[in-house]
Amino acid sequence: MATVQVLPITVPPLPDRYVAPVASSSSRLTSPHPSGHRTLLPVGPAHLNYLRLALHHAHDFSSFDQHLNAERAAKEKLLAAEGDAEDDLGVGDEKESPELLALDPKEWKKQDHYAVLGLSKFRYTATADQIKIAHRKKVLKHHPDKKASTTTTEVPSTILGLNTNQNTNDDAFFKCIQKAHEVLTNAEKRRQFDSVDPEFLEMEEDLTGITAAEFKNKDFFKTFAPIFTLYERFSRIQPVPGLGGIDASKEEVEGFYDFWYNFDSWRSFEWWDKEVNEGSDSRDDKRYTEKKNKSERARRKKEDIAKLRGLVDLTLSLDPRIKMIKQKEKEAREAKKAAGAGPGKPGKKTKAQEEEEKKLKEEEDRKKEEEEKVARAEAKKQKAAAANAAKKARRQQRAAEEAA
Amino acid sequence: MAPKPMPNGSAEAPIEVTSLPPVVGINFGDSFASIAEGLAECIANEDGERQIACAVSFFGEEMYIGNQASHQLVKNSQNTITGFRNLLGLKFSEIPQSAQSGKSAPVIQHPDIPDEPAYKVNILQPAPAPIPQSNHNSTFNTPLASHVATPRSEPIPATRILTVSEVATMFLASLLESAEDFLGRKVTGAVITVPTSFSPAQKAALEKAATDAGVHVLQLLEEAGAAVATTTSPLWSQTLPADRTQLVVDLGASSLALTLMSLRDGLAHILESSSSPSITADLIDAHLIKFFAADFTKKTKIPLKICPSDSVPDARAEAKLKLAIEHTKRTISASPGAATVSVESLKDGVDYTGSINRMRFDLVVRNVYASVSSSIIDLLTTAGVDAHDIDEIVYVGGSTCLPGLDEHIITTVGFREEVETPFERGTVVGGGVGDPTTVLARGCAVQAALIASIPDDEAHREIREAYEHGAGASNGVQATSRTVGVLLPGGDSSLGGVWVPVVHKETALPARRVVQFDVELGEQSKAVSLEVWEVKETIRIEKVALPKPELDEGEEEEDEEEEEEEIKHREIEKLTLLGVVKFDARLGIKPAGQALWGQKGAPKVQNKGRAKVITSTLEVSFIVDTTGGLKVEVKEVGEPSASGTLTVPAP
Repeated sequence: MATVQVLPITVPPLPDRYVAPVASSSSRLTSPHPSGHRTLLPVGPAHLNYLRLALHHAHDFSSFDQHLNAERAAKEKLLAAEGDAEDDLGVGDEKESPELLALDPKEWKKQDHYAVLGLSKFRYTATADQIKIAHRKKVLKHHPDKKASTTTTEVPSTILGLNTNQNTNDDAFFKCIQKAHEVLTNAEKRRQFDSVDPEFLEMEEDLTGITAAEFKNKDFFKTFAPIFTLYERFSRIQPVPGLGGIDASKEEVEGFYDFWYNFDSWRSFEWWDKEVNEGSDSRDDKRYTEKKNKSERARRKKEDIAKLRGLVDLTLSLDPRIKMIKQKEKEAREAKKAAGAGPGKPGKKTKAQEEEEKKLKEEEDRKKEEEEKVARAEAKKQKAAAANAAKKARRQQRAAEEAA
Repeated sequence: MAPKPMPNGSAEAPIEVTSLPPVVGINFGDSFASIAEGLAECIANEDGERQIACAVSFFGEEMYIGNQASHQLVKNSQNTITGFRNLLGLKFSEIPQSAQSGKSAPVIQHPDIPDEPAYKVNILQPAPAPIPQSNHNSTFNTPLASHVATPRSEPIPATRILTVSEVATMFLASLLESAEDFLGRKVTGAVITVPTSFSPAQKAALEKAATDAGVHVLQLLEEAGAAVATTTSPLWSQTLPADRTQLVVDLGASSLALTLMSLRDGLAHILESSSSPSITADLIDAHLIKFFAADFTKKTKIPLKICPSDSVPDARAEAKLKLAIEHTKRTISASPGAATVSVESLKDGVDYTGSINRMRFDLVVRNVYASVSSSIIDLLTTAGVDAHDIDEIVYVGGSTCLPGLDEHIITTVGFREEVETPFERGTVVGGGVGDPTTVLARGCAVQAALIASIPDDEAHREIREAYEHGAGASNGVQATSRTVGVLLPGGDSSLGGVWVPVVHKETALPARRVVQFDVELGEQSKAVSLEVWEVKETIRIEKVALPKPELDEGEEEEDEEEEEEEIKHREIEKLTLLGVVKFDARLGIKPAGQALWGQKGAPKVQNKGRAKVITSTLEVSFIVDTTGGLKVEVKEVGEPSASGTLTVPAP
């Protein structure tokens, strides 16, 4: 394509009395210098185009244009296919509300860091790369150096007190951006923030305020599935089993409740820690606050666990599938019972038999006792006899000695 | 065998960070060379020099290349080879005797190859290693040899015969090594400059030397072409018109080359060129050396006869001074103050320190300036081009960094005041893009990058070859001999309208130009008329009497001839009316119509203080084909647009 040379001139209008001169039909350009009179220097992109025009298109501009257009289209296609070089991973460009821009960097703990970086649609799912890209975008837009020039051109007069205010506030938003970046790029801080993510808290309030009484006539799955997907993010074990549908198997349902009763959460509440009073360098103060924070954290964590547990309990109690499973179990049992009533007798002994056996046993015992008694009496007798014999012998011996 | 000691930096090469092709541009001059890489920045060699002297020197076992070698000219001139580029591809019998300067190694007839020029240098060869121990054990019981290696004996003196081509190969290889060290990659291709005067045999010899040095020659580019590549690149200037006439002044160490070129939208062809080997930058050196030698004698009362010197001590002094004034010239070029020169032990153990300011410098070398100016005037006369028509002057070569030369040329040749020079734009000093020492190397690098970007496939093979082997046949073109443009009637200029030149004279054919401008539309009729004229550009010389200098009261009035100054004006003379394109504009009919506002290219209503003016933008496209036929298309920019065409058949 030929480059269009734009001339900075404006031509005056045609005079009213203008009569176009008539060119003689034989007027021609002065003949060009003969071929070969001039030799092009084979250099530069213009010469490359000339060569292509001469060698491939027989000096025809329209054919060359077509070729160039086709080439460009092909190149664009290729770029679009490869085009990941410019990919911003879907970060895109979020609208910045005036409230957001008016944030105070001193209140950074209260700001929504994802919104500040323009990542509200990703929140806790934003990857490190996305955070990086989003931060770059925001910095490019809000860097104070950049702002200084743009605001002065936009608002030329500085008479308005507002203007200076705006300027400083721009700087403030940049500080917010930096803080948000600092928080979100630090894995630990990010988890702390995610634990108390304002959007999460809002949703939590909306969804989990439900009680068994309120639940009546609502769709179980529609009510509870979002709650569990909301809490999913805190699980150390991923992936998390879902609530499932009405037709979930017994194993699935049991797996689900097993998982949620043993839920291992990384949620923590450091974010809400009270700052140690500024200006007080007293160690005791610090320790005291730390202690308070620690207990507060523990309390909150406990509450959180209890709350979740309550939710799981509630779910379990309302789960139509559990009822169904119980029902099924019961049915199965009864069916078993009904089937087992017929040929059950041979296995059991009657009472009479038992008594007979008992009697027999008692008799045997008595016999044994009697025998033992007899045996004991005999042994006594023998003992006594032996003692008598010994007495007799002693007496005889004494008599013999006396005799001697 | 012990493992080979690893160098400290044994880490893997870092990942490629640049996608630029590893190609370089080499400006291979006769006395200095320079290299530039893909971004058209000049590369400094390992000594930190951007201007690398074309010299190879042998001293004992050592070999020096570049600026270190040129220092050897003082003590070791017989083993130092300079000025070899111009001898490339020549037969011994073709070399003029004047090429023998006597200040460096002499050119001799090669002892083995007939009619081949060569250099003979004395070197020290490392002594041959002692007889190696035989591997198989002898059956005879000989006493065990000592394990200590036999020390090598002293190196033995030897002579080495080097052909010109071998020297050039050595030199180019060292340039490439510097470039590869800089780029961190193997250089795959290079564009190398050749003087316009080189014969095909010389070009072939240069290409062979480069190939032997291990680089693929993408193109041998004429020096003027390299200058064009730099000056047409967007780096050079954003404001210069695309159609301009350019004069390239290349003052080299061995000749002055002048080229008058027509640059038309990036395409360039030479209108006229000249080369005068008698005007050289060496003359400037000679004048300076003479000046400083006289100064030395004046200061120390030690006679010093140099330029040209015959006795050996004076020749050495001359060589020393010649090295020292390199610095002086650079200082003079770069800063307005005085420049110093200092040489230790110039003669008889006496040191010399002198200084020279710009004015004195210009006086000393005035002859050289004058001869440059006169050869420019000669060139313009032969080309039949008035100095007033030159739009731009480009300087090439280290000596043209001198601001005095620029001033002298502009005032004596009579260029327009607004002629563009790198000095005027202030791009000469500080390594700017207009630095005359780097212009050629940059151009080569730009061109190398361009050629490297041509896809390497069958469809483009022809084009690649055209660059590699010099596309002589396809570069012969026809060029227009007169300027064609449109005249928009109206206004009260002598031409009867506003003249818009579209295709300038000396434009290579086929040519296409598109211009866009605004026209005002009358309140009654919306007619637009464009007369297509072929014109002749002339220069009107107006003689203006200079105001008489006011004389002081005491002085008597002398009879003086009235001083006159010639003021030149560019004028246009209508030659042939080729046709008229006339149509009614469609876009300007409704004045400030609401419906028209949203449309692209809608007429703009300008409030010029008086009545509202309605304008419409016209796009005029001219196509001149190879036979001289002209096709004009005029259309309004926007929708719905009116248009008109005109076709003039070939003469």
